[in-house]
Amino acid sequence: MSDINLKIDGKNVTATKGTNIFMAAKNNGIYIPGLCYHPKLTQYGGCRLCMVEVTERGRTRHRFSCAQPVSEGMSVKTKTSEVDKYTKSVVEYLLAHHPLDCPTCDKSGECGLQDITHDLKLSAGRFKTVRLDAPMKRDNPLLEYNTNRCILCGRCVKVCKEVEGVGAIDYQNRGIKTVIGTAFDKPLDCTFCGGCVSVCPTGSWQDRTLKFRARPWELKKTSTICTYCAVGCTVVVNTKKNEVMRITSDDDLGINEGNLCVKGKFGHEFINSSRRVKTPLMRKSGVLRPVTWEEALNHVSKRFTEIASEHGGKAIGGIGSEKCTNEDNYLFQKFCRTVLGTNNIDNISNIKSPSLNRLVNESVEYEIAAASVEEIEKADTLFFVGADVAEAHPVIGSMTRKAILANNAKLIVANARNIEFNNSAKKEIRMQYSIGTQTQLINTLSILILNGELVNYKKVETSTENFKEWYSSLKKSDMGIRKVSTLTNVSEEVIKSAAELLAKPGKCYIICGKDIEEDPSAENAIRALMDLCALINAGGSDKVSLVFSRANNNSQGVNDMGVVPDFLPGYLDINDPANRKKFEDSWRVTLSDDVSMEDSDNVFDLASKGKIKALYVMGENPIVSYQNGKKAKAAFKKADFVVVQDSFLTETAQLADVVFPASTYAEKEGTFTNMGMTVQGLNKVIEPVGESRPDWQIVCELAKKMGHPFYYISPKSIKDEIGKCVSIYEGIKNNNLKKDGSRWVASVYDGNLERDGFRWVSYDNLERDGFRWVSSEYDKYEPLKYIFEISKKRSPVIKKNRDYPFILLTGYSLRHQGTYSRNSSSLVSLASECFIEINANNARRTKIADGDMVKIESAQGKLKLKAKVTSRVPEGAVFVSEDYEWAPINDLRVNEYTNVRISKTR
Amino acid sequence: MIRPLIQGLALTLKHFLNPFKVVTMQYPDEKWTPYPRFRGLHELQRDENGKEKCVACGLCSTVCPAECIELEGDENKKGERFAKTYEINMLRCIFCGYCEEVCPEEAIFLRQDYELASENIKDHIYNKNKILVPLKKKK
Ligand code: SF4
Ligand code: SF4
Ligand code: SF4
Ligand code: SF4
Ligand code: SF4
Ligand code: FES
Repeated sequence: MSDINLKIDGKNVTATKGTNIFMAAKNNGIYIPGLCYHPKLTQYGGCRLCMVEVTERGRTRHRFSCAQPVSEGMSVKTKTSEVDKYTKSVVEYLLAHHPLDCPTCDKSGECGLQDITHDLKLSAGRFKTVRLDAPMKRDNPLLEYNTNRCILCGRCVKVCKEVEGVGAIDYQNRGIKTVIGTAFDKPLDCTFCGGCVSVCPTGSWQDRTLKFRARPWELKKTSTICTYCAVGCTVVVNTKKNEVMRITSDDDLGINEGNLCVKGKFGHEFINSSRRVKTPLMRKSGVLRPVTWEEALNHVSKRFTEIASEHGGKAIGGIGSEKCTNEDNYLFQKFCRTVLGTNNIDNISNIKSPSLNRLVNESVEYEIAAASVEEIEKADTLFFVGADVAEAHPVIGSMTRKAILANNAKLIVANARNIEFNNSAKKEIRMQYSIGTQTQLINTLSILILNGELVNYKKVETSTENFKEWYSSLKKSDMGIRKVSTLTNVSEEVIKSAAELLAKPGKCYIICGKDIEEDPSAENAIRALMDLCALINAGGSDKVSLVFSRANNNSQGVNDMGVVPDFLPGYLDINDPANRKKFEDSWRVTLSDDVSMEDSDNVFDLASKGKIKALYVMGENPIVSYQNGKKAKAAFKKADFVVVQDSFLTETAQLADVVFPASTYAEKEGTFTNMGMTVQGLNKVIEPVGESRPDWQIVCELAKKMGHPFYYISPKSIKDEIGKCVSIYEGIKNNNLKKDGSRWVASVYDGNLERDGFRWVSYDNLERDGFRWVSSEYDKYEPLKYIFEISKKRSPVIKKNRDYPFILLTGYSLRHQGTYSRNSSSLVSLASECFIEINANNARRTKIADGDMVKIESAQGKLKLKAKVTSRVPEGAVFVSEDYEWAPINDLRVNEYTNVRISKTR
Repeated sequence: MIRPLIQGLALTLKHFLNPFKVVTMQYPDEKWTPYPRFRGLHELQRDENGKEKCVACGLCSTVCPAECIELEGDENKKGERFAKTYEINMLRCIFCGYCEEVCPEEAIFLRQDYELASENIKDHIYNKNKILVPLKKKK
């Protein structure tokens, strides 16, 4: 965009075309008062504070700087006596009714209105009016609202509509009685993103988790990365005396533009919760009792040594954590592989979708994977498939809305459930496919694109491999659009228009969600998506990229760090002796290549079979989070010795022989990798609570006790080692992690030798199946020709079961996620109940009404939950969130589709 | 030169020997009455209904040059702001009275009490129990 030169207060300033004077001044350090304009929201011009004097083409006029775009040769004065007089009287009017209750207002000290009043040196106003005195509205545990303090700037209304897509609040009444409120003054029922609190320039909206406990100027603010979902938002943790008071955000930091969701914003109370495990615990005569670190470490090292010498190292299984840092996880797997001598380590995300790592890597190899998540803001088309963005990754939803507002992006939502995603897209296609037909649907899109010649057939043929064979096999299995339409329950026109939209030129991002990734047919569906991307990318000028959803803050990192049985850090196949040698050299040990897991086995299977005698769990609660909870529980009961390292006494920790108290994300340094493979650095916010220690430190201590000391003094020294010996993470050494993170996929795509960043290579001309390494002489990474693969794997079918007529669907929940949210009291009081969602028609037939208690039974177990009758789930299915830890729905599940029956109960 | 010196010493001697004018106070047998505007130990006020006036706005602890006030606000049952804890470290207080001056709620005053010595160092941390005016007994 072209630059425009203008003068503000005599200073020569350049600004891009379309910028308003307000921002041009602000970016150049010139202050203009203003309370209603916010760069991430649409302009409104309601507060009238930003008046400036503008001289343009010889004419001098007064203009509102937030409403006036810059133009060439313009001269702006922000501080003339007239401007001053005008602004002062506007503030006087604003203050006329204002309650001036700064002493009791939590905003005092960071209040826009207070600051401006102070700047303008206003004292007692000329107007004698009645101060407003309406009561505070407190109808929910998170937010309170005070109409008196509102200056009607409209920011909250806009953030709610434009960023959050909710529109829970709006103006009410007219004239002097105008207030902001919910429709019919009902209690606030929204996503509780806290956007309104963040943008409100006055103290009208308040964060109730602060509850008058501290003043803004007393708070120490430390930015770090959110510990809940895989978006990786930057949060600013506000602390006072080693205690977390609240969380705010910073528009200029991180990838989230200051947007957060309810968990990130309000779910911080777990950090200083009284339920934290604060000392090591050891089982003595059947009960877990507090012991000293020394005693606990000695006991664990003794038992581990015994078990390893008796049954071999591989008799110890390790579970790494999706919530711990890369450094913790790297060290954990290094400890397991070198000190314990076992390759039987894994993490829950890999157990849940075992093919995902491989497919993600292939997508990177073929340059299909998106280089970061935030680039979806530039999308022209977005395709959510099996992704419940609003519940799972709320800030991705905000990014999507931004793309819709800014680039008029089009949206396709495909899901088995009728998920909610509020937005203002002009073109939105919804495909609610029948459960289990996603692969069919995606393949049909490919066929339609090819048949309709929406891509250049020739180009696809030449720039990919195996295309013809793949196409003919696809055609062979094609049953025709009509049949597909009846099978998937999506109308022909809708499928056709989706195919057209996808093949249209422009940037397109496909967000592949959990419903695809954790489905029994995950591999086929994801491959179909990759085929679709490759097809469009090869045959057209546009670019389709895949974003793979991940569940937790570091679900990506734990896999990158090699906490999986078959990959060493950086996805180096452990079966390849050259890979092993690389790590043997840098770790100075010999590594075992013995991966005892057979095909579909995992750590829990091995433990249940008695092949694993001891389990070492770091920061996970598999009994609840593993999709087959029954089996996990049996495994933990069967194991002779269980060590759990966690911040809370979870269900898993309760079965442990030794529990180490671990610090939470706020108490440690390190890095997290989000679902866009952006590695971002944490900052230590407070000192460890109680006697807890960061996970890496516990692992180090244990290693020392076991006679293999690791010489790390801080997470930074571990990070340096990762940077040295994990090639995809080379970037974290040099990149300014604090500023905007290191994107490893992006550095794969554009890495070269000059840039000291990433090199897609380790050493020698190493070639390996499926994931080819390019020789180090190449200084530019070149994507491979996409090889279409004809899938031989049959997708599992849904078995009908008369006794259990419903299919159980599970998924994310916006308001909870695991152990941390469960111990955040405000979140729990906001969402204290896990519901079972039942389709309205099914509910009518089974005579279940909203709010009834429902018994839900499968062949594995049963659970009692409250019913929510909705149209969100398809007929014949019920939905329960997995994120409410106290409602262990995974106890009922098996690794395939789970059949259940429901009945009303009391 | 010598004369004024002798004159001066004579005056001193006169005062020194005057049996009716004792300057030294026999503390603690004798107590000093402070002047009305003396700044002694703080007192936290209640309003006419017996409610604590302090709203934990934190201005006193911010303004205090000796940084001796620590307080933490909370929400009472009515949802109003009040000071859950309020502590003054009297070992550090310099009795400047800034806290009194800054308080927007007229909740804190420096009163007349000057007998603040104690053998126990912990006694010098004055919490709300010690400085809040007691509730008046209902008549
Ligand atoms: S919390 Fe978010 S969704 Fe709720 S009213 Fe505020 S901006 Fe809207
Ligand atoms: S509540 Fe705050 S953000 Fe909303 S209109 Fe009032 S002053 Fe503006
Ligand atoms: S939970 Fe996810 S979306 Fe919410 S603030 Fe944290 S990282 Fe962002
Ligand atoms: S009198 Fe001065 S030093 Fe003492 S508490 Fe008040 S402000 Fe602080
Ligand atoms: S300045 Fe007054 S109201 Fe504020 S905290 Fe101090 S005593 Fe309480
Ligand atoms: S900032 Fe320009 S009118 Fe409010």
